[in-house]
Amino acid sequence: MNNNIIDIHGLKKSFDKGRVKALNGVDLQIKEGEFISIMGPSGSGKSTLLNMIGAFDRADEGTIKVAGIDLMTTKSLDQFRSQKIGFVFQLHNLIPNLSVLENVEIPMLRTKANNKEMDQRAMELLELMNFSNLQDMVKQNPTRLSGGERQRVAIARALVNHPSIILADEPTGALDSKTTQMILDLLKDIHEKENVTLVMVTHEPDVGAQADRTVYVMDGKVK
Amino acid sequence: MSFLSLIVKNPFRNRTRAVLAILGISIGIATIVALGMITDGLTSSTQTTLSNGTAEITVTAKGSNAFSATGGTLSESYATSLLNITGVNGTAGILRGITPAAGTVNGLEVNGINSSQTNLEGISITNGTNFVDGTNQVILGKSIAPILNKSVGSTISLFGKEFTVVGIYDSGNIVTDSLAFTSLTTLQNLTNAQGKLTIVAVKIDSNANATQIANAITNAYPTELDTTTATQQANLMDKSMSGINTASAAISVLAIVIGGIGIINVMIMSVFERTREIGVLKAVGWKSSDILIMILGESIILTLVAAVVGILLGYIGSEGLLAFFSSTGSVIKPVFSLDIVIRAFVIALVVGIIGGIYPAYRASRLPPTEALRYE
Ligand SMILES: Nc1ncnc2c1ncn2[C@@H]1O[C@H](COP(=O)(O)OP(=O)(O)OP(=O)(O)O)[C@@H](O)[C@H]1O
Ligand SMILES: [Mg+2]
Repeated sequence: MNNNIIDIHGLKKSFDKGRVKALNGVDLQIKEGEFISIMGPSGSGKSTLLNMIGAFDRADEGTIKVAGIDLMTTKSLDQFRSQKIGFVFQLHNLIPNLSVLENVEIPMLRTKANNKEMDQRAMELLELMNFSNLQDMVKQNPTRLSGGERQRVAIARALVNHPSIILADEPTGALDSKTTQMILDLLKDIHEKENVTLVMVTHEPDVGAQADRTVYVMDGKVK
Repeated sequence: MSFLSLIVKNPFRNRTRAVLAILGISIGIATIVALGMITDGLTSSTQTTLSNGTAEITVTAKGSNAFSATGGTLSESYATSLLNITGVNGTAGILRGITPAAGTVNGLEVNGINSSQTNLEGISITNGTNFVDGTNQVILGKSIAPILNKSVGSTISLFGKEFTVVGIYDSGNIVTDSLAFTSLTTLQNLTNAQGKLTIVAVKIDSNANATQIANAITNAYPTELDTTTATQQANLMDKSMSGINTASAAISVLAIVIGGIGIINVMIMSVFERTREIGVLKAVGWKSSDILIMILGESIILTLVAAVVGILLGYIGSEGLLAFFSSTGSVIKPVFSLDIVIRAFVIALVVGIIGGIYPAYRASRLPPTEALRYE
């Protein structure tokens, strides 16, 4: 009936037994293939909204449908996360004792993919990430990489299971402006090539301005 | 990379902690293995094979038994007067004396007996010959001979006199095999116990009942004699064995509990440190059960490695204990068996599961948002 991949109405979420109203009736529709930036003051509920879309937690009230799945009622949220969502965090959150390649494979580990398929898919994505010395790097631990390099590995990890939606919570928040633009270009590139829906939370106006549309969140509501 | 290889890798991320955890648990396993080897050794060495012709009843002075009787506390005349009791087939008077001997802690127990009657103690000579009455000849049990470092032809000083070892014997009984036998008259003269005995070994008719005859003896000499039957002796052995088994089981349980608490502690710390990472795994679509299996698996990996280390430590430890004891006069050999290896692995597995289940459950229940907010 419509081509909204994300469809949210009157979504509410509170913490600490109702004392903190993080989301206070959010209405938001996002079309398939759109690039949306979410902006707003600190504590306004941006991360909470993104977490609801990614089904990291359940909302208290309202309706939320993502990629055709009703997140208020669906039981197996882990399966939804595994198949539909790729998440990029502000901090890369890579596992320090695993190699770069193994880190990218982590989301595939509990799928039916075999070792060869995993290696192939991970390499394929890492090749998209514009590394100059890829062959040496994949065997290294991420602790030896720069912030921008780590974030690129994290983006590859988010893409590994062919998600329909990429959720990015301040993906450039810890990077300098030059690296920020490189990461942004990468995300935009993937968004265009793979027709992935991209939802990105950011504090930086020039970053937010590069999206197709910017959504402002204030006091738990979309303005 | 596979899920299994991740589980095997993860515990060794923090090497120091992994080593300490493994060491802690492996000491528990080593204790269990060493105790198991020693009690198994004890059990197998106390199993007595009664040879035909061995005396069924040991008669001692009132107030003592076959194990406790010492010195010249009985008159030699009992050896003949007991023959008058119905069902008694033969008797042998034995005098016990203890003399210091190199290689032993409490000294060597020397038994004086007439050479024709050694079969009543189940003795059969495996090497050399029997002693000749009235001479300074001695025969040694097969267990004590290596401890004394003596063989046929050696000389040995007993009660201040030079004796010649003329034979080595096997009796099928660990106690008897730890003794020396010599001529009764020689020992009586040496210990100033002329005409005296410590015990009278009684052989009964083949169709007679040992308990009935033992009762007949104490009824005939109610104030003078006590009796111990072979069955009673075996029961006494069993009793002390079951005491040792209980003690070793209690120590084992303690070792498991300490190991279990150690692994819970290590796994809780590891989960706590990896809260964020667990959040990421959930965010990328891992099921709660995947997290549970991973943490539980890590705990089991640690305890299984500890089992291998513990079995090695336990083996070396019990061999060390054996070396220590044999230099001080023990005749027990630790027994290392597949059974003990299996037991160690099963215990390790159980400790791994019990120690890992609670931390694994906690980790699996972490909501991804909480985990990701965690700094
Ligand atoms: N798990 C939680 N438990 C308790 N309170 C929470 C939790 N998550 C969010 N909050 C609260 O909800 C409100 C919204 O938080 P949220 O993280 O969504 O804000 P934000 O817009 O992402 O802020 P920032 O720009 O600083 O990241 C805040 O007051 C925050 O303290
Ligand atoms: Mg935020």
